[in-house]
Amino acid sequence: MIRYLFLFLVLGTQIANAQKVDADLLHIKQRMDSVSQFTADITLDLEVSFIKMPTKTAKVRYAKDKKMLFSSSDFVMLPKRGLDFSMSEIFKHPFITVDRGMEKRNGKLLKVINVIPTDNQSDLALVTLYMDTKARRIVESEVNTRKDGTYTLLMQYASFNNILPDYVEAGFAIEKLKIPLNFMGKGTKIDRKQMRSEETKTGKIKMKIDNYVIKYK
Amino acid sequence: MRSLLFAELLKLGKQSKTYYALAAILVIEILILITAYYEGSAILDLLLNNLRQSFYFEGTLLNGNLIMYIILNSLWFNVPLILMIITSGLVTDEYKDGTVQTVMLQAVKKWKFMLSKYIIAALFTLLVIAFMMLTTFTLAYSIFGKGDLIVYINTLNFFKSADAIHRICWAFASGAVAMIFYSVVSITLAVIIKEAAKTWIAAALFLIITNLLLKVDFGMPAINAYFFPKLIDNWQQLFYYQIDWLKIGVNNAVLFLYIAGFAVAGTYIFHKQDIT
Repeated sequence: MIRYLFLFLVLGTQIANAQKVDADLLHIKQRMDSVSQFTADITLDLEVSFIKMPTKTAKVRYAKDKKMLFSSSDFVMLPKRGLDFSMSEIFKHPFITVDRGMEKRNGKLLKVINVIPTDNQSDLALVTLYMDTKARRIVESEVNTRKDGTYTLLMQYASFNNILPDYVEAGFAIEKLKIPLNFMGKGTKIDRKQMRSEETKTGKIKMKIDNYVIKYK
Repeated sequence: MRSLLFAELLKLGKQSKTYYALAAILVIEILILITAYYEGSAILDLLLNNLRQSFYFEGTLLNGNLIMYIILNSLWFNVPLILMIITSGLVTDEYKDGTVQTVMLQAVKKWKFMLSKYIIAALFTLLVIAFMMLTTFTLAYSIFGKGDLIVYINTLNFFKSADAIHRICWAFASGAVAMIFYSVVSITLAVIIKEAAKTWIAAALFLIITNLLLKVDFGMPAINAYFFPKLIDNWQQLFYYQIDWLKIGVNNAVLFLYIAGFAVAGTYIFHKQDIT
């Protein structure tokens, strides 16, 4: 009897393992895979309490399996994490998913899943995805990385059929500035209490994406 | 009055010290440019080291606008010191050469004589700032080109190139008022002290104390806002992300009152002096 139970557990686990990746996520991946490359214009608004920067514009170039490239005639600061709205980073290494049920966000019922990479080479530790299963796309994500902390992505789409977002809001943690004293202007005030209390801050970058030129497979 | 002004202008134009001052400004600019050329990137890397961990940077911040801002920072000490030495000479030289007696023997009113000194000192200051602005613009933009300006004043402020140029121009204009203040003070000091070397020491001391008092909290809002050491950094207001034009205007108006006050005091003291 114990032998049968053991056999059932082993076989059951293997069968379950074979279905570890969420079917809706696979549909979204399939849809994403159909995009071989795209270019777009981005309007960037950086929101970090200790950085004041005017609205910037840049051009983004994406090609499948390649790093996303940004170019601008202005000086632009782009977060190292949070710009991968093609979600290619998630699909780069093997992973399993855990269904977390449905959750209502901004009036939309979204499917929540956890993505857990099974390969040690992946930079990601745990990803929570909020999927619009009807429109077959990711609406929100919270990405925990092994080295670069956690970042969140919020994506909005102009129409039901759009595969790529028209607005992305990336939230990230950022270490506070350590400016050497001799770079400070004479009028600069140093509030040590405030400096100590603000070791790590959170920042946000808002990206409006226009003029998509998408090449499909 | 016109002939007095013309005579003062002629004296200023003929003395070699004037050209030494302009040369000194140029040397300061060139030294800043050389330092920026060889070490600018390393300094910026150090400044932005923390941000590099979280961000990719696209574009360069080592550009003509940053150089202009660094050169503007010589308005704290280097430029006012040079100006105070040169402008105080307008009076101390008269005492040293004994020409003040000669002038006073003519039908020249003492207040007019002093007023012409103050006016010429102010004009010379404007000339120096204009020279500084023109040479810096030419050198900085031709070597480093244009680009976004980064300034740290409580927050890390980024300005687009066109906005940065606009702010730098206004900062030179606002800085010129502070420089006129120093020049006028140096003339007043020269009237009191009369000797050149002693006046230079007093002027340098005045400059150092003013810079030190800028940081002191006097505990009273009115003094903290309108005591003259608190007004000499008015040009820095142009590099806050949101420009408070009203504050800049009021501060400069108050600084003009101080300028007038020091000029009146100098004229009064000169009027009371016996010219022997």
